[in-house]
Amino acid sequence: MSAAADVAPVDEATPGDSGALARRARWSDAGLFAVLLALALLLALALASALLAVADASPATVFDAIIDGSLGSAPALATTLNHTSLILVVAAGTCIAFRAGMVNIGQEGQLSIGGLTATAVALGLPFAGPWAVVIILLAGAAGGAIWAVAPAFLRFRRGVSEVVTTLLLNFVAFQAVSYAVNQPRLLQEDVRADSVTAPSPQSNRLPDDDMLPALSSGTGYRLHVGIVIAVVLALAVGFLIRRTTLGFRLRVFGFNPRAARRLDVKPGVMGGGALIASAAFAGLAGAVLLTGVTMRLQGGFSSGVYGSFSNNFGWEGLVVALVATYDPVYAIPVGFLFGALRAGSGALTATGISPTIAAVVQALVLIAVTVPALLIVQRRRRREVQALRRERI
Amino acid sequence: MLEIAGVTKRFGRILACDDVTLDVAAGEIRGLLGQNGAGKSTLMRVVGGVLRPERGTVKVDAEELPVGDPIKANAAGVGIVHQHFSLVEAHTVWENVTLGDEGALDRQAAIARVDELGERYGLAVDPRAVIHDLSPGERQRVEILKCLRREPKVIILDEPTSVLTRQEGQRLFGVLTALVRDTGRAVVLISHRLEEIMATTDRVTVLRDGRVVATHRTGDTTAEELAAEMLGRRLSLVDDRAAVGVSADELADLDVGRTASSVGREPVLELDGVTVTAADGHRLLDSLSLALRPGEIVGLAGVEGNGQQALVDLLSNVLTLDAGEVRVLGRRVAIGRRGALRDLAVIPADRQRSGVVLQMTVAENLVLNQLGSVSRHGVLRRQRIAVRARGLVEEYRISTAGVDAPVWTLSGGNQQRVVLARELSRGTPVLVVAQPTQGLDVGAMESVWTRLREAADRGVAVLVISSDVDEILDLSDRVAVIFGGRILGEMERSAVDTDRLGLLMGGVAS
Amino acid sequence: MDDVALILDSAARLSALLLFAALGELVAERAGTLNISVEAMLLGSAFSGALGSWLAGSALAGLATAILCGLLIASVQALLSHRLAVDQFITGLSLNLLALGVTSFLFASFDMDSESMGTFRVPLLADLPLVGDALFDQSWLFYLLYPLVPCTWWLLYRTRWGLQVRSVGENPESCEVTGIDVKKRRRQAISWCGLMCGLGGAYLSVGLIGSFTPNMTAGRGFIAIAAVIFGRWTIRGTVAACIVFGGTDALRLALPALGFELTPQLLIAAPYLLALVAMLLIRPGRQGPAALGRGYTEFA
Repeated sequence: MSAAADVAPVDEATPGDSGALARRARWSDAGLFAVLLALALLLALALASALLAVADASPATVFDAIIDGSLGSAPALATTLNHTSLILVVAAGTCIAFRAGMVNIGQEGQLSIGGLTATAVALGLPFAGPWAVVIILLAGAAGGAIWAVAPAFLRFRRGVSEVVTTLLLNFVAFQAVSYAVNQPRLLQEDVRADSVTAPSPQSNRLPDDDMLPALSSGTGYRLHVGIVIAVVLALAVGFLIRRTTLGFRLRVFGFNPRAARRLDVKPGVMGGGALIASAAFAGLAGAVLLTGVTMRLQGGFSSGVYGSFSNNFGWEGLVVALVATYDPVYAIPVGFLFGALRAGSGALTATGISPTIAAVVQALVLIAVTVPALLIVQRRRRREVQALRRERI
Repeated sequence: MLEIAGVTKRFGRILACDDVTLDVAAGEIRGLLGQNGAGKSTLMRVVGGVLRPERGTVKVDAEELPVGDPIKANAAGVGIVHQHFSLVEAHTVWENVTLGDEGALDRQAAIARVDELGERYGLAVDPRAVIHDLSPGERQRVEILKCLRREPKVIILDEPTSVLTRQEGQRLFGVLTALVRDTGRAVVLISHRLEEIMATTDRVTVLRDGRVVATHRTGDTTAEELAAEMLGRRLSLVDDRAAVGVSADELADLDVGRTASSVGREPVLELDGVTVTAADGHRLLDSLSLALRPGEIVGLAGVEGNGQQALVDLLSNVLTLDAGEVRVLGRRVAIGRRGALRDLAVIPADRQRSGVVLQMTVAENLVLNQLGSVSRHGVLRRQRIAVRARGLVEEYRISTAGVDAPVWTLSGGNQQRVVLARELSRGTPVLVVAQPTQGLDVGAMESVWTRLREAADRGVAVLVISSDVDEILDLSDRVAVIFGGRILGEMERSAVDTDRLGLLMGGVAS
Repeated sequence: MDDVALILDSAARLSALLLFAALGELVAERAGTLNISVEAMLLGSAFSGALGSWLAGSALAGLATAILCGLLIASVQALLSHRLAVDQFITGLSLNLLALGVTSFLFASFDMDSESMGTFRVPLLADLPLVGDALFDQSWLFYLLYPLVPCTWWLLYRTRWGLQVRSVGENPESCEVTGIDVKKRRRQAISWCGLMCGLGGAYLSVGLIGSFTPNMTAGRGFIAIAAVIFGRWTIRGTVAACIVFGGTDALRLALPALGFELTPQLLIAAPYLLALVAMLLIRPGRQGPAALGRGYTEFA
């Protein structure tokens, strides 16, 4: 059977050649990415400046104010880090879902429901203190998780895209929170005897002992331990995905569900589990928001993005996960960037500029950062698809 | 009628067609023969306008075709019956047939046209039927109608019989021959089945590595000569003959190279009355029974789509049993429970889709289903994975930049080697391989067959599932035929009668 | 009786808004794009409609700018997801955030005083009991829907373009070998969605309200997506779903004013819950266009 030697089959023309191909591909990817990213960021900056010019504001003043308001002082930095903790917890969870190929875009709702269950448990507990805080945080995670059960079921029993269901459930969640804080027999605050006004659509304040412990505090600021929780969770998820057998199977499932089926990976268990786990992270973020910042559940009638308890933290966490290419470790610096942007925009009010410019800047940064990254991923996928098809020449 | 001149097409570093020149006359059926990857389908996609060549021209009736535009190529008289992907399942027959047309959509006229074409060519299909509900044979008819609707001068058929039973295939060629003789069209038949080419064509052209090697009058040549030209050397080996489909009868007197003396007695894998039903109530496997003994290679022959996929899925533990039982090493196993079939190594037919994870590294793919041995307390031991991977890359001569390269950077043949290395190295008593050499070049084929024989010699029970009869006859100690989800016949290799085998595959149980 | 007519009137207005967006989304989805930027298209068009009518002092100019804005957002979505092959959900998500941010920011920066579109009362028909006001005494943009619904049906099912659009949403590979430019058809379908959303946005800000408020669409684009799903990707089903969803919205607004005790939250959530229940009931396996939500990479 040695006669094969003189046939020179195509795939053995030059040994190691495919490796060179891979290396070249990686380098051209990196170079292209850098160029695209620089271009995209410049374009985003130009667009933001143009918008500010339309509104008769000086871009330099605005950007100064944003930097000053996010990093310029101890209170500013504390606000940034508190924001970062929420965004990062959501992002770490989102990475789990996306790595398993599950497109969860229901973080806003899951976070809100997490806040709701955490509030209910906190106000129902007969005691307060450190143990109560732990229980409240777990209750938040459980609440978020419950909110993903229906999407997981519909996805794996009915074949309905989880994109649609998780999205729709956001709006249901906002209404559930709104309902709870508008019903005196549910979570609406008690009417105080000395009050002349009607009760607001918000819950009672949690006992002070249920507050998330502070790492540092001073006049006008309080940095809570959320940032530690968030970083530890992000690192843990990173370890889980990269270094454990469970993470290995999760990645196999995310990349190639057919191959995963042959590894005894049950799609419903792995995919549904990843979806529910990511929702639990969002729910946990809701509990951190509650015990770290607001100390009570609030929620208006709005069915839109603003005015909900989640206050856009869910979307931002999702965006951070996307920008970090679903890597929870990369999500740490990206989360910090978005936390800073958010804190800085809060400080804008003083300059007389509408703080909604922050939303614009965030969206532009998102597009500026994700489009190049996704283009690279897509280019690679296109090569894969074409490699697959080439086999059928 | 069809003149192809100097067509060159490359995909990255692969030269798929290299200066190909070919003329087909009116009223002629031309066979186009070549191994996998010889450039047959690429050439025809260039003619059909799907692919844009780097160089070269295509003329129909002395008119040059515009390149890279399927609709214009079609209007100029080129009709292609594609092997895959050409029908929209959710749409009706008439919608599919007129999909590539231009101008206003006229439902009544389209339906009338389908009826008229079907009647004229003996290819009747209900124009209002939805493709989803049609059988493979009916779908093939729709494909041909779709091609004929434009009254093409040149008809290109790409492996038209790969999904048909032998009888369906014969009927197809009957229609085709009549069509060409009566109307003076030109037909190009792409096939790797020598018998088909010998029986149907007037002339035959052989492609190898993207180049035209030879063109013959079919009557003046022999299967051996064509096979030799396809491979580019004298045929001296059984494997090579089988690889190109030399008829099994010619192989019967050759030494197969293995005896059944090493075969043990007690079966290691037994399927007993196994029944599996699809979600729509359709029986995938219908009380199928089969036993494998250590050291023997059992070949499961059959036309694609008769339950082979379901059998592989069942043995991969991804389907549930509706009736019957599966015994491994004499013990009944609970199919569907995690790890129930860990003593089986299964190599699925769609290796690139379900055998490897393209985005993960070679090392990760090599330990894909053996995580237990490279981890402790659920944590992966990266050192161990790398060592294992380097060993296998060496042993199986997998050509890669390193064990950390993603699998998509490997060529198809090397990707297959990754799957083979992983499954064979598991040391299981049973090995199930579906379509072991599909998509492989001759060199890779030989190494796969050698590995399978070595495994059997070590006492592994091997089940080879293949739609290539010659491969089955060459490898197996025993042959079984699957049809409609059940075993229709079973015989020792020495007792195989190819006529009976053909009938069994066509569903005739004598 | 008057109350019922009032509620029907309100339901018709709210359904009409959904229907504009849903007719666009239906075509985009049949071509294979789950176009979540429909929300951005609606909101952006509503804003630019108000802006245009303020700047030019004419409601008609507002309509024109709204359509332009819808088409602009559509072309960005189409460019990113069907030319540059960026994931369509991420594109849509970014556009939604961007539209919300930009419109809110610009709204806060200007003091707009928009024009409102007149209503038109169809003689005789508007005097029909109960449904007369609802169906025949509306902003004149509303009447566009009467021809638009059959027109969309005709486009999808009776034209060559429609057949190709439906085919690229089912089996893009087969379309490519047949000679159909898959990505071009998908981009065109998204543009149709942008056009419809432009009409819908203008209807909301210029036609119904006469001004813009931040986030005034309040997720109605997502309800339009739910309506397409609830309607199982057919014209008839989508129209019915829009009427059901618009009707519940109208009830939510109207019942408290009529003195009924009810929980507004449940009614707001109702369309979403209905859509979810519908998905639970749909037979598995027939869940919309086969290639819905999948990007496409050509052979060569």
